[in-house]
Amino acid sequence: MSYLGYVVAAYAVFFIVLLWDVLAARWQVRRALRQARAKRQRPRGRAAADVELVR
Amino acid sequence: MNRIVRWFHQLGSPPVFDRFAARWTPWCLGIGAVLMALGLWQALFVVPADYQQGDSFRILYIHVPSAWMSLFVFALMAAYSAIALIWRIKLCEILAMACAPIGAAFTLITLLTGSIWGKPMWGAWWDWDPRLTTELILLFLYLGVIGLYQAIDDRRSAARAAGLLAIVGVALLPVIRYSVDWWNSLHQGQSIRLLGESSIDASMLLPLWLMVAATKFWFAGSLLLRARADNLRREAGKDWVGRQAGVEEGA
Repeated sequence: MSYLGYVVAAYAVFFIVLLWDVLAARWQVRRALRQARAKRQRPRGRAAADVELVR
Repeated sequence: MNRIVRWFHQLGSPPVFDRFAARWTPWCLGIGAVLMALGLWQALFVVPADYQQGDSFRILYIHVPSAWMSLFVFALMAAYSAIALIWRIKLCEILAMACAPIGAAFTLITLLTGSIWGKPMWGAWWDWDPRLTTELILLFLYLGVIGLYQAIDDRRSAARAAGLLAIVGVALLPVIRYSVDWWNSLHQGQSIRLLGESSIDASMLLPLWLMVAATKFWFAGSLLLRARADNLRREAGKDWVGRQAGVEEGA
C-alpha cells in the first residue's frame, strides 16, 4: 500500500502552519511600525494646517 | 557588574530588545530553515522505509519534534510567566505571551500529523486515547492563554492573568509525558531517548536530531518576531518607536 498521500498531507500541514506562524508575526511587526510612522507624521500635518489657518 | 549580567539587564530595556530581536530573528529563522532542509532531505530521500510501516513512518520526523516543542514551549512560557510574576520584568511577560501562539501552532501540527499517521496505521483519524486527549487539552490551554491575554485591555494585567493560567497548566506536562505508561494507550511508548539507548535504529536518528534542532531555531526566530511586535505595540507613542519606524522605512 502506498502512503504517499498521507506523507504529503502531513508535510503540507507542517509547512503551512509554521509559515503562517512566522508570516503572521512578521505582519504584526510591520503593522506596529506602520502605525508608529503614521503617529509620527500626524503632528507635522496638524502644524501645516495651523499655518494655513493663520494665513 | 559582570558583563553578562549587565547585558541581561540592558536587554530588559524595550529599545535594546527591539534592536536585538531585529538583528537575530533572520539568523534564527535562516539557520532553522537550513537545518530543516537538511533534515527533510534526509528524512524523505535518504533514510530507508520502515519494514512494518513503510513510508508512513516518515511522518514521525515532523510529528515527534513538533510534539516535543509543544511541551517545551509550554514549560518555557510558564517559566517566563513565573519570572514575570515574581520579579515584574516586563520583557518576560512579553516573551511568555509570545510563546503561546507558537506553542499552539506546534501542538496543532502534532495533533494533525498524528491523526494523518493514525489513519493508515490504526485505521482511525482519532481515538480518545490518553496521549491524544491530553495533547488536545494542551491545545485548549494554549488557546485559553491566548484568549485571556487578548480579553483584558490592560496589557500588564492581561499578561499576569494569562501567565497564572500557564503556570497552573504546567501540571499537565508530566501527565502527557507519562500517559503512555500510566494508562493502557494505543499510542506507542517512548522509543527515542536523549540519555540511553533508543529502540529506533541508529540509521534513522540523524534526520530526527536535525529536525529537533531546526524546530528549536525556528521557534527562537518566531519568538523574537512575536515578542518584538508586542514590544512595539506596548511602546507605541514613544520616541524610540517612531525613530525605529523611520529607520526601517529608510532601509
